[in-house]
Parts: sequence; C-alpha cells; structure tokens
Amino acid sequence: MRAVRLIVVAMSTSMLVLPVLIWAAAPGSKPTLTATYADATQPDISGLWVITGAMRFSPDQAQPKLLGEHQALYDKRTQAFKAGIAIDDQTAECLPAGLPHLLVVPYPFEIMQTPGRVTFLYEYDSAVRRVPLGQAVPPADADATSYDGDSYGHWEGDTLVIETINIRADTQLDFTGLPHSDALRVTERLRRKDATTLEDQITLTDPKAYAEPFTVTRLYRARPKWKISEYVCEENNRNKPDAQGRTGSGVPKVKSE
Amino acid sequence: MRRMFILSVAISALIGANSVSAHHSFAMYDSTRQITLVGVVKELQWTNPHVWIEVLVPNATGGQDEWGVECTSVNFMTRRGFTKHTIKSGDKISVTISPLKDGSHGGSFKSINSLNDAPLILEPQD
Repeated sequence: MRAVRLIVVAMSTSMLVLPVLIWAAAPGSKPTLTATYADATQPDISGLWVITGAMRFSPDQAQPKLLGEHQALYDKRTQAFKAGIAIDDQTAECLPAGLPHLLVVPYPFEIMQTPGRVTFLYEYDSAVRRVPLGQAVPPADADATSYDGDSYGHWEGDTLVIETINIRADTQLDFTGLPHSDALRVTERLRRKDATTLEDQITLTDPKAYAEPFTVTRLYRARPKWKISEYVCEENNRNKPDAQGRTGSGVPKVKSE
Repeated sequence: MRRMFILSVAISALIGANSVSAHHSFAMYDSTRQITLVGVVKELQWTNPHVWIEVLVPNATGGQDEWGVECTSVNFMTRRGFTKHTIKSGDKISVTISPLKDGSHGGSFKSINSLNDAPLILEPQD
C-alpha cells in the first residue's frame, strides 16, 4: 500500500511581513502605449504604480474605532475568519472591491492626467476612476451610492487632494472584513514622494461607523516597464459564496484520510 | 535522477505568505501551516481570477485524490515567470501549499518543484 506522500513542512509564515515588490513583466507581444501625462499645468503623478506593504487597509494593523453595530459586525466577521470562513465578502462573487478597498489591492494601476481631470486605470476588475479637477464637492446623496463613489479632486501645491462620497455601505475596507457605512467620506492626499514613490495619505471619515477619522499612509512603487493586463473575474471563479454568504474553497468537501 | 528546480524563496514567499489575491479573503487557508503534495498534474487552469493546479496525489487506500491548488492571478503568475507552459498535464511535481482549514483537498500555492527530467524554468520577468 502506498502511503499518502504528504510532507509536513514545519515552517510558519507571517501574513504581514512582505513588501510586495516584485519583478516586472514586459511581454513583447503587447502594444506600446504613449505617455499618460498630457497636462503640464498639473504636477506629474502619471504612470504605472503598484502598492507596497501588507494587503490590508492599514499596513500596521491599526483600525478605525468602530461604533456599535459596526463593531458587532466586525466581531462576527473576525470570529468567522478565525474559524476559516470568510463572510460578507462580495469580491468572492466577482463584485467590485469598491472604495477604499480598491486603493489597497495588490494589482497595479495607471494614472492618466489630462486637462481638467485625473483618471485611474486599475488592473483589478479593469476598474476605472474618473476624478474631475476643480469642481465643488456636492452634498452626499444617499440615493446615488456606488461601489467606487464619486470623486472630486484639486491640487494643493504638489499634492492631489481627492474627496470621494456616495460609497455603498456593503463593501469592506479589506479582507479582514472592516466595515463602513454609507456616510463614509474618503479623503486622499496623493503626491510623488520621490521619482519612484507615490504616497497616498488616506483619511476615512464616517460618523455613523467610526468614533473619529482614521488615517493611513500607503506607498506605491513606480513600475514603468509593467503593462496593465486584462483581468476578468468571472472567467473561472471557483470561490462563489454559498447561500449563507460563506466564500467557497473551490474544492469538493472531502476530508483528508 | 530527479532534477529539482525550485522557485526562489522570495517568489514563493511573495505568492504565498501575503496571499497576493484581491479576489477573495483567504480565511479558509491555514497560513500557519505548509504541506507538500507529491503527485501528477491533472490540469493547469490558466485562468482568472486565479490560476488553479489540479494535482492527483496517491492516497492511503491505493487510489489517488484530486487536490485543488489555488494560485494568484494570471497576471501575477506571469510577472513571476510562471506561464501557461511552465507545467502541463502528466508532469510530476511537488507543490507546497497552505492547506484548507476544513481538511478538504486544497490549499493556497506557495512553491513548486519539478520532478520531471525536464527542467522547470522560472525566470521572473523585468
């Protein structure tokens, strides 16, 4: 009888140790694109960027001070997570991550600057975020929420300030399940910290869900040789949630012998 | 003799420990454990949102079990030098995974070795 050849490796890993700085791909078969900086009146933050640091909203594991039902919801998700079950995670159904989760996904994005606007082109979900410049931020409209909300930008010196409102309440900040409400306002302060580093200071203000504003600073590294590739989540999604909203493992439920 | 060509520790750590996935939570995987499966590739699913390697692994009763190994996206595998031609059905491999917490036959990809005579060439692109 052949034994199961299963070698247990006594190695533990940390979820959080890794700066995600990896190798670039420049497939020769891809078309060459022209520059994405076409407005000399704006400081140049154009180009292709990818996040560094841990794949959670706050790289140092800090989190917003959650209020009432939002704390209870997070506790429930945390308890399920520890038991090996992800709940309420709509990305497992290939729905959008939404803002601000989209700001911390591990996939690259490209910034295009044209007169009067800045456009973010994400590899993840092929999402696009259009940010008009110099327009007043209107009052929030609870009847007009969306995954990525509505963004409004303006320049303060070398810093692009983006205010985003009208974000759906049912997305999470990251895969730990941190919640927010539909009152969330995301304020970003983006600047080119040096030639190869983009900094985004992200402040979440959400009086319904958080006791006080919560700020993290994320860094993105320039990847000029990379190209954005297609990413279609529905192609082969084996992780669809079940009727109880639990993310699927993608394999049959057969116990190991 | 077997020739083993091992992904660098850096690559396997990057793919595995940080669960470079934006598609779903990896709560179902036990990131504190790693096991190595030795078997034969049944199928490489070179697809998004995640690449899957289906591996047939001999079991204790003389048969074999199919294990599903969940990798990251096509784009990220490609950027690390893993292509749709890196492995194919019938290849003998050993693949290290963080297993599913519920004991099902699956895990998240950490690293892979070829047990074929042909080398498994993985060169991260730049």
